[in-house]
Amino acid sequence: MTTQQTKNELNKEFKNMKCILTSSMRTKLLLSTYEGPQNLEDLRKKLKKPSATILHGLKELENINLIRKIQKNYELTSNGYLLTTNMIKLIENWYSINKCEEFWNNHDLNDIPERILKEIYLLKNSKYIHSTTSNLSNAFNTYINYISNSTNLKIILPIYSENHFKHIIQILDNNNLTRLELMVNEEIINSIDKNEIFKEKILNNNKVEIICIKKKLKIFLTYSEEFMSLTLFFKDGHYDDSQILIAEDANAIKWSSNLYKHILEENND
Amino acid sequence: MNFDNDINNNIQFLAKSEIRLKILSELYTQPNTVRGIVDLTKITYSSVSSNISKLEKNNYLKKIKNNYHVTSIAEVYFKTLMDFKNSANLIDEYSAFWNKHNLKQLSLDSMRTITDLKDSELIETTPLDIYKTHNIIKDQLIESTNMKAIFPYLHPDYPGIIETILGNDGYVEIIIPKLISKELISNIDPVLKKNSIKENKLKIYSVQKDLELYLTICENNMSLGLFKNDGSFDQNRILISDNPHSKNWAETLFEHVKKQVI
Repeated sequence: MTTQQTKNELNKEFKNMKCILTSSMRTKLLLSTYEGPQNLEDLRKKLKKPSATILHGLKELENINLIRKIQKNYELTSNGYLLTTNMIKLIENWYSINKCEEFWNNHDLNDIPERILKEIYLLKNSKYIHSTTSNLSNAFNTYINYISNSTNLKIILPIYSENHFKHIIQILDNNNLTRLELMVNEEIINSIDKNEIFKEKILNNNKVEIICIKKKLKIFLTYSEEFMSLTLFFKDGHYDDSQILIAEDANAIKWSSNLYKHILEENND
Repeated sequence: MNFDNDINNNIQFLAKSEIRLKILSELYTQPNTVRGIVDLTKITYSSVSSNISKLEKNNYLKKIKNNYHVTSIAEVYFKTLMDFKNSANLIDEYSAFWNKHNLKQLSLDSMRTITDLKDSELIETTPLDIYKTHNIIKDQLIESTNMKAIFPYLHPDYPGIIETILGNDGYVEIIIPKLISKELISNIDPVLKKNSIKENKLKIYSVQKDLELYLTICENNMSLGLFKNDGSFDQNRILISDNPHSKNWAETLFEHVKKQVI
């Protein structure tokens, strides 16, 4: 048996969370009332459960002060609203992870700060593109397509890749890209510096701002006002060019901008 | 809302067992063996061993040599679940503060990042100290050189506090209802006021729209007060914090309200 003290401590720590998440009925009642006050009939139709089951769940939520009854309607209390907002965040976080399960599971996530990982729900509309045996460059080509249509890019680039640089130079030369912020570590800057063309077209380009970071990050993040993309490293330290996460919605761009700012601040500390 | 059965079952698999959560939290900190986890957690060997098998079967853990490692995906599941746990505990801990109070002016983002208020302190007045909340805020403000505030009501001490901060070459930015802004402004020393506005050190936004919360942010701390559901301001409770996360949280909320009311 686990010692009683350990058990008590664990019970106390997880009590509030368990109380909500371990009952599908309570979870669903909170989600339904989050949309607005509901009467028993509304809830019965929505949840397709008998009145007795629903009333029992409502009573439990009333007892812990998450729901209150005003005349015939049930509505969330302030505590209930706050908690349900956070429960929805949790569900959407898990939805986002599940949607691109392979992507998140295959890679090293250590360099994504905890704060940013906890906001993965912002990526719920992202899509996961991977190369296949019949199309080995699928992920790369998709990436190039996206950056080619951008005017203002911010990139955290953790790799030295001539292929990437050639395309970046091309869009800079075409005047498509009017501003590029490139966050790279010193080692990569030195490698760029050794290549005359890259040096001239990237390091000495007034459209490009180079931000030198101390850490060798394992995140390849790109975002503009129109899209964001993320590629990562395998856990064995190798860069994975075959899988990319792409999104075009404002939330995903916000996630990227939060990540970018976070890393910038961390670097300046 | 994407709440399907898979997600529900996955969440429940972890949420139902404190032991599984404890094992994940230990392994997340450091990969370990069954014996190592038993020693760390004081949970019985049989319980650790059977729960580790279940976690491994569900792809939350991977065995490399003798050590169990948390998979990347389990790491994210775990962190987001702990984030929810922390928010539930925080809501419960300051229940008296949120309960029966108006949260309408909190943004959705503020609510989602409520765990940033962790380590705050709930200050409540007592029959022996009925001005406790006001005095604590006053002490915070008077010592600072930088203040942003949403004042839904005017306290006679405020003009003096503002003068002190400005007198120390500080910066003050206030959002205040139009109805009381005249009185506040007329009680600040006219020369100091004129110079501070000119030098961009004093910004007063007097707004028509209702202000439904009380907020102060100084360089080292913040305080938050709420209105009760009956429409009156709750002078008996404030949440204060000197944690930088809470301060950032308050700054974001300040900007949100500013956008909303100006």
